[in-house]
Amino acid sequence: MLYQAAIVALIVFVTVGGAESLGLSMLNRPIVIGPLVGLALGDVQSGLLIGAALEAVFMGVVNIGGASSAEPGLATAVGAAFAIHLGGGAAVAIPLAIPIGLLGLQVKTLTYIFIVGSFAPVFDRLAAQGKAKSIVGLHFGAWALQWGLYAILPFVGILVGSDAIQVAVDAIPDVIMHGLEICGNLLPAVGMAMLMKLLWDRTIAVFFFLGFVGVAYLQLPLIALAVIGVIIAVVIGQRDYQASKLAREMDQLAKLPAGEHAVVMAGAGAELDDLNAEEEDFLK
Amino acid sequence: MKLTRDLSKDEKKLLRGTYWGSFTLYAAVSPAKQGASGYCYAMIPWIERFYKTEEDKRAALVRHIAYFNTTVPMSSFIMGLTASMEKQNSESEDFDVNSINAIKSSLMGPLAGIGDSFFWGVLRVVAAGIAVGMAQAGNILAPFVFLLIFNIPAQLVRYYGGFLGYTLGSTYISKVYESGLIHILTKAASIVGLMMVGGMTSKLVVFQTTVSMSMGGTSVLELQDMLDQIFIGLIPLSLTLLCYYLLSRKVSINYLIFGVIGLGILISLLGIA
Repeated sequence: MLYQAAIVALIVFVTVGGAESLGLSMLNRPIVIGPLVGLALGDVQSGLLIGAALEAVFMGVVNIGGASSAEPGLATAVGAAFAIHLGGGAAVAIPLAIPIGLLGLQVKTLTYIFIVGSFAPVFDRLAAQGKAKSIVGLHFGAWALQWGLYAILPFVGILVGSDAIQVAVDAIPDVIMHGLEICGNLLPAVGMAMLMKLLWDRTIAVFFFLGFVGVAYLQLPLIALAVIGVIIAVVIGQRDYQASKLAREMDQLAKLPAGEHAVVMAGAGAELDDLNAEEEDFLK
Repeated sequence: MKLTRDLSKDEKKLLRGTYWGSFTLYAAVSPAKQGASGYCYAMIPWIERFYKTEEDKRAALVRHIAYFNTTVPMSSFIMGLTASMEKQNSESEDFDVNSINAIKSSLMGPLAGIGDSFFWGVLRVVAAGIAVGMAQAGNILAPFVFLLIFNIPAQLVRYYGGFLGYTLGSTYISKVYESGLIHILTKAASIVGLMMVGGMTSKLVVFQTTVSMSMGGTSVLELQDMLDQIFIGLIPLSLTLLCYYLLSRKVSINYLIFGVIGLGILISLLGIA
């Protein structure tokens, strides 16, 4: 168990911590961590399936300005490790991953506030003293300290918790396990709702339904849907650009004294040609 | 390339350094300052390059250890822009230094608006959607495909963003800003994002009821068939819209998650699915 605990802790450090120092490059997503844990514990296929299932559950978990709803990285690493160890695949991983993800987020927020946050005044002081090298050192030092501490969580969790989890999973009746499988298929609804909150605007809400019907009825692959979406976005973007340009010209017209209107209006035809030319420039 | 034509060798090297530095924007992120130390770290080579006196260097360091928060791939654009402003400041006496942090704080919000919609709402969803399908089929390339689809555009935008910001300069940016172009781009990115979320809702949120009525041993009415005739994916769509409605009513996300878990177990207990 010591090996499992250490390797999962290392994976959490490299992926969750690594993502933060590598430009939030998505290393910490379930679809990456699942197979990685599988590889470390000798069952890549299970890891892959668990990663896919948890990616769907945590799809809507977005990290925007540090605000989030769960920490999918820790959830996947620990959930997949237990599921592979105990057998049972995604049906075991999902019910474990959800509470772990919530706990992980709380711990992560605490480390942001109390560990990295406590260095914020130190950064200011170093800048005022002109110590550029110390700023660089502290920048990476705070990173290593924060994620080193965070990785203790999966280490201790797997070392201490595995017996308790085994008993718990064995004790769960089949009807509840089946219910948790249904949950795995329904939970993406919450994630989608979070993404909608990020993107929703009354004027463009219809496009959500276009996407839904495109997949539900037309069976479009997601790539095709994305291309159609881009085409629509370009067309609407062009129209908006033209409209905002016209609106600004109308403003200018309104500011002119009455006598000059005729002159400007005569030039309006030429203006429109200009507009089209500029449009094309903009699109290149 | 047009972007790099007028740049000196030294400047190109510094801009490549900005790309590498901006990787660590959120390495030491804290609620109060977000990516402040990462921004400062990426700006240090510029500061060392432009300023000669210790006093000027100190002032520049203090400027860039201020609060900074935007989508990571968009960050190098602002870094390049402020680097060009630092250069101007080091060359002219009457440059208004306050404008440097003013442009940072005025750009990071709108750029995060476009960046979050595009990188989190569209690109990540497309990448994950494709990779989840591959992984379910047991294809071990799934995680690599996921990382490549997301990171190739993200890295390109971040690499060339620095060059773009540095060459365009701040006057051009304020013109773009006033023309409402940023608003138009955000809306366009959100349209693609919403379509993807609609598609993902249909793909990922799955519910099939097994309820049926039988007469004399043969089933005469399958509830799922009936639901499908009304609208395919009626239940998943309604559930997703309900979740969104509750979220927009400021219901906590944790309640929603536990609510859905409770719902799933209830459905299983009642034998609906």
